[in-house]
This record gives sequence, structure tokens and C-alpha cells, in this order.
Amino acid sequence: MTQRIDAYAELIVRVGANVQPGQTVYVSALVEHAPLARAIGRAGYAAGARLVDVRYVDNHLRRLFIENAAEADLSQTTPWQMARTEALADGGALIMIAGDPEPELLADLDQARVGKARPLDAAKRQLRAQNERAVNWTIAAFPTAGQAQQVFGEPDLERLWEAVAHSVRLNEPDPVTAWREHSARLRARCQQLDAAAFDAIKFTGPGSDLTVGLLGGSRWSGGGVTTVGGIQHVANLPTEEVYNCPDWRRTEGIVRATRPLSLGGTIVRDLELRFAGGECVEVKASSGADAVRGQMAVDEFTTRLGEVALVDGESRVGQTGITFFDTLFDENATCHIAYGSAVTYGIDGIDGLSPEELRERGINVSSVHTDFMIGGPEVAVDGVTADGQTVPILREDVWQL
Amino acid sequence: MAALKAEKRLARYAELAVRVGANVQRGQTVFVLSQIDHAPLARAIARAAYEAGATYVDVSYRDQHVRKAMIELGSDETLTYTPDWLKTLFHAMAGNALIATMGDPEPDLLAELDGQRVGKAQMKALSEIARTQMTERLINWTGVAYPNAGWATQVFGEPDVERLWEAVAFCTRLDEADPVEAWREHMARLESRAAKLTALGLDSLHYRGPGTDFTVGLLENARWMSALFHTASGIEYVPNMPTEEIFTTPDSRRAEGTIRSSRPLALMGDVIEGLQLTVQDGKIVDVQADKGADVVRGQLANDDRAAYFGELALVDGTSRVGKTEITFFDTLFDENATCHIAYGFGIPEVFDGEPGEGMNVSNVHTDFMVGGPELEVDGVTKDGKSVPILREDAWQLPE
Repeated sequence: MTQRIDAYAELIVRVGANVQPGQTVYVSALVEHAPLARAIGRAGYAAGARLVDVRYVDNHLRRLFIENAAEADLSQTTPWQMARTEALADGGALIMIAGDPEPELLADLDQARVGKARPLDAAKRQLRAQNERAVNWTIAAFPTAGQAQQVFGEPDLERLWEAVAHSVRLNEPDPVTAWREHSARLRARCQQLDAAAFDAIKFTGPGSDLTVGLLGGSRWSGGGVTTVGGIQHVANLPTEEVYNCPDWRRTEGIVRATRPLSLGGTIVRDLELRFAGGECVEVKASSGADAVRGQMAVDEFTTRLGEVALVDGESRVGQTGITFFDTLFDENATCHIAYGSAVTYGIDGIDGLSPEELRERGINVSSVHTDFMIGGPEVAVDGVTADGQTVPILREDVWQL
Repeated sequence: MAALKAEKRLARYAELAVRVGANVQRGQTVFVLSQIDHAPLARAIARAAYEAGATYVDVSYRDQHVRKAMIELGSDETLTYTPDWLKTLFHAMAGNALIATMGDPEPDLLAELDGQRVGKAQMKALSEIARTQMTERLINWTGVAYPNAGWATQVFGEPDVERLWEAVAFCTRLDEADPVEAWREHMARLESRAAKLTALGLDSLHYRGPGTDFTVGLLENARWMSALFHTASGIEYVPNMPTEEIFTTPDSRRAEGTIRSSRPLALMGDVIEGLQLTVQDGKIVDVQADKGADVVRGQLANDDRAAYFGELALVDGTSRVGKTEITFFDTLFDENATCHIAYGFGIPEVFDGEPGEGMNVSNVHTDFMVGGPELEVDGVTKDGKSVPILREDAWQLPE
């Protein structure tokens, strides 16, 4: 057990955040994540960190805060939170541990207050640092009994650990090397796709006939990100996707989700969306459609796409056959698209542009970003070139390029 | 039922810490410093603090395991490095309330590490901020302990958390029908004892016992007081729960002799046993111990005034902590079982007006126990007369 956690922490530190000697490592974890946070502490110092600064969040304290705080204080950022975030943005490494042990803890509270209760200025500052590639960061999950209960219907933590270990390649003799090879393969795929210079991606399968127009000049990304300072890191563990930014004005057709989607405590099943002129004009689902409709009502650009991602059958996450009810995993099981804000890692020359200027270029800006799964063996994926030719990319989950 | 009773006890304990200990005022931010293992108490304190009108409760969880990794694997520079945001946090405590929770869940966690590095690993910049705030009396604060399995094992040799809880509840008067009222009466008695001792105008104290023959000078402008403190703005608070002591800040220039500690001392993740100090011209010049001497030596090397004395405290046999006859391996309790002395910084609260030159200024403050039935404590007046203060743990002066 200890060995597995240590190997996981090592992977998170060396491959995920890729901590550099002399860096401060900012770790955000729930108190329930302590075993992994401690292992990250050891791995961080072993990698030469100047300081491993673990900030434990306690959802029970968060609950008390939401119950008691004045309305005006709910979104407040304290001076010390801001100071910590500024320090992080100034060349720090960031490790976020995901995995909610009590997904229902806040369910009975006023959801408007729950939504408001986050240090808004600090959250924005951190997001800006991540988008500007100022920090090397990663998100990794800590398996909990609560999540195992949700996934398997019983708190079989060991089974969940095994699925996570398989997904993040911890069962390889040398996980760090395995990840280098894996990242290189995903990057090679990005180069293939960039060379093909597709104008659009087409998904055809049961209930799906969707064409997603790509943004001209935007590169495919995958297998890791590089900071402006040149530190290569893997922002999500696991990651199996190569992804790009669609043009929010150019999505047409209908698409059916191939896996359930977990959306803020609601499970959306058999989601079906119809797009016209880039806009989602119809939302259907066998359950949870209102959660999607509610989200799409947040702002007018939530109905537009911000990401298209390709995943083949070699995905370790897909191989487990498990729905994790956690996007970090589920989006890596198969091809997905996201409505809401655009992923902009592959686009140059947009630093400092206003939301209006970004939208003018076809880049969606929204406060929402929700991935949902649309791939699988029955879904054919083609690239469409500027002159209208179609080139197979995925057939029966096998990469064709 | 047992779970409900335990939950109620925890809530009463948290309320005592909030209402009597820190005496949280409406509109204050309450800072809580806790080990991650103390989460249930930190949560109960947060609940009680919001009920008392706190606008925000900020809990900083600390993790001894991450600290261990730092001491083991971090660079020398890392040991004392203080991130700016923590300084911002500490500065923000001025004018607000602070509650620290104690009770080491793994007392021997750092024992295998290099004692010198353990002693050095201290965020000095934070100690300096805290010391300034103490001197200027800007924070209403308190420390309370959280019974846990690791601590119970150290005390009883088995993880009997319930037995430890009962001892803690007795020591902190949680077993009284109205603990808040019981604390008012208790503090009034200690206040009276302190006032009468101050009125004697003693020049020095003389300690005699096994391994101890120690004389230490008192300061004319330093009072004896109980742990009933006031902030500069007038908020009354009790910084330690339990508290059974009356104490003063000695003249750091006048101390001679030898001192042998009478109880084990838990210090920075280590346990120091059989501590023996030799003192010349006010300064600790030699440190011996059956176990853990290096941790004390490392701490005394922290700054050039660490090896001078900052506190003298007198406790008699009526102490609830002493009555349990338990060694808690936690200074918060053990220092209230019996008489103790601290090296390091002096307590500014005992002075009327500005502390004079005699008060020691340092970044460390470590209490160690010297009392017990075999210790005799005398006061010595300016004209050289001896006045018995303690004999066989019994208070010899009028109360």
C-alpha cells in the first residue's frame, strides 16, 4: 500500500507537475487525502523542492462557513489566500488532489450559496496563471471509499485503487518511463493531425452525426503542456486525449453521449444535443436533462463548444470499462467534446485579448466548461479537409492515421 | 448513546475554548492552528466560534508527516524558510482571536531524525511576529488539547482515548455542571494567590530538591499573575486550558545553580527525559539528559538569548492536573501539574508598563517541570529572610 502511494506520488511530482529543484510546491488536498499529500511531500522534497506547502481543505469547515457567513463574505478572498496565490503564480508548481469522499455533504444546503462560496479573486488569479502557462501544474485523484461506493455500488476501495493504478500506469515496472513513452505517442498524434490540417472533425454513429468545425491555426495538444519557462508537465493524470479548439460558430448536427455524465451531484444519462450554426438548440436526456439546461442558461456562450478531444481504444481508462463519475477519468475513456469555455493551449498570439476579441476569432469564452463522452467502437471519426475530402481517424476505436 | 455523549462533550469543550479560553468577540476572525489529526475538534471550535459571532473561522491544518519529510529531505535553507503568505496570515491575527489545538498524535514521529535539524526547523519570522503581537497584547488566544489514540498510547501504554478524554475533561472542569462558571471561580482563586505573593515583594526564589539547588532573581516591576490575560483593547482571555499556575518573569541576569527536571518533556516531536541544566550568571551553560539532550541543545542554539530564563511558575497539590497523577507528555498539562521553569522569552504581561531590561527576549520559550512533593520552594526577601512557599506540594502562604 505504502509502496503504491509512494510510486503514485513520485509520478505526480516527476511527471505530472514535473517539480524543478528550488521550486515551491503548492499542494491542495482535502484532509481525507492526507496519505497521498504526505507522500507528495516526500517526493517533492526528494525532487529538490524549496518548500512543499500543503494546504488542507476541510469540507466540513466549508459547510459551516456556507451556513454562517454573511452573504457578502461568501466570495471573499482573504489577504493571505491572495498572497499565497500570487506566490504560486510567480514560478510555483501546483498539485491538486481530486476525489471527494463525501459527494453529498453540501447537498442539503442552499445551492446558490454553495455556488458562491469560493474565494473568487484567488480562483481567477490561479486560473490566469494556469492559462498563461506560468505554473507547472497537475491534477490527480485520490481514491476514496465514497467514490468506490458510487462507482461499484459498494465501498470496494481496493478495486478502485487497482483501476486508478492501471489508468495512470502505476502497474508498469517503471511508471515514469512508461509515461514518457505515452506522452511522446500522444504528441506524435498531435503532429500527424496538425500535418493533416483538417478543417473539421466528423463523428458518425448511433444517434450521432456531428461535424465540429476547427479553428484555423489552432494546433492539437496532448501528452503534456510546456510552461513559458520551458517546464514540460502533464496537467491531468491520467490523460489519453489529443484535443483542439473548435470554432464556436461552426458545429452542425446531432450527437448522443455514449457514457453517463456526472454533473455537480446529478447523473445525466443518454444525453442528446442538437447543434445549428454552432449553437446547441435542443437538449434531451433520459435523466438529468435539466442539469444540462440549467448550466447552459448560465451565459449565452455556454451553448457553444470549447473543446473537441480524440481518444482511441488503447486508452487505459477505457480499458477498465468503468464509469468513474469523475471527469478527470471519464473524459479519458473515449472521445469527448465540451460545451463552454475554449481550451486555448494550441493557439498563439491571444495573450491579453478581451473576451469579445477572442470570440471574434472563433474562440469561445464562458464561465462553464463541461466535457461529455461521445466516442466508442460504434462511432466513426473522420477528418474533413478544407477541400471537402474525408480522412478516417478512428474506426472501431482504432487509430487510423 | 456513547457517540452522542462524546459529541456533546466535544461541543462543550469547544464552547469552553471559544467562550472562556479565547473569549471570541462578535465580528472577530478566529484563527485555528491544528494538526490534521485534530480535525473533529477544529470543526467543533469553528461551529462554536460562528455561534459566538465570528465572521470567519480560518483553520490552518498542519501535518507533522510533511514536516518530517522537510526535516529529512529538505535543504538547510528550507528548515527556516518562511513563505510570505504565512507572514500575511500571522499579521492578520492582530485584533482577532486565535485558538491552537495540541495533543501530539505521534509523539515519537521525529525521534529518529537528526535532533539538531529538528531543533533548527522553525519559521523564525513567524515566531517574531507572534512575539511582537504577544508583547503588544493584540490577540485574545488560547491553547486546548485534543485527546487522540497516539497521545493516549504515550500516556497509558495503550490507545485508551476514552480514559484520556476523562482525564482531560476533569482537568478542564468539563465535569462541572456549569464549566464556564466553574472557570470563573477557579481563576478568581488563582488571581488572589498571585496578588498576595506579589505583595510580599520578594527579591529571589530558592528551589531545593533532588538534583536541584537553584536561585533565581525576581524583578521589582514584575507581578505574579494567573493566566487570566487581557488584550490591550481589554478582552479578557485564558491562554491555557487547563491552567493551575501562578507565574512571573524572572530577572534573566540573575540565576545560579543546577536544575533537574522532575517529569519528561515533550519537545518538537521528541521526549526529553532526566533533563539536567547547569546555570551560571543567568545562562544555561551545560545540558545533560537521559534522552533527547540534543533537541534542547539545538533549541538553545536558536538565538543568543534562548539559554536565559523567561518564566517561573508555582503550582501546588490542589491542581486538578496534579491530582490525576498522570504524566501527559504535553506541556500544556504537565506544566500545570507541578512547578515549572521556562528558558527563552519572558512574559510581558507581568509588567506594569514597559518591561525593563531584566526580561529575556528570544524566539523560543520552553517550559519544563521541576516540582513535586520533594521540591521545596522558598522566597527570599530583600533583607535576606527566607519565606516558605511550597512544602510537600502544599501552599504555605495565605490564599
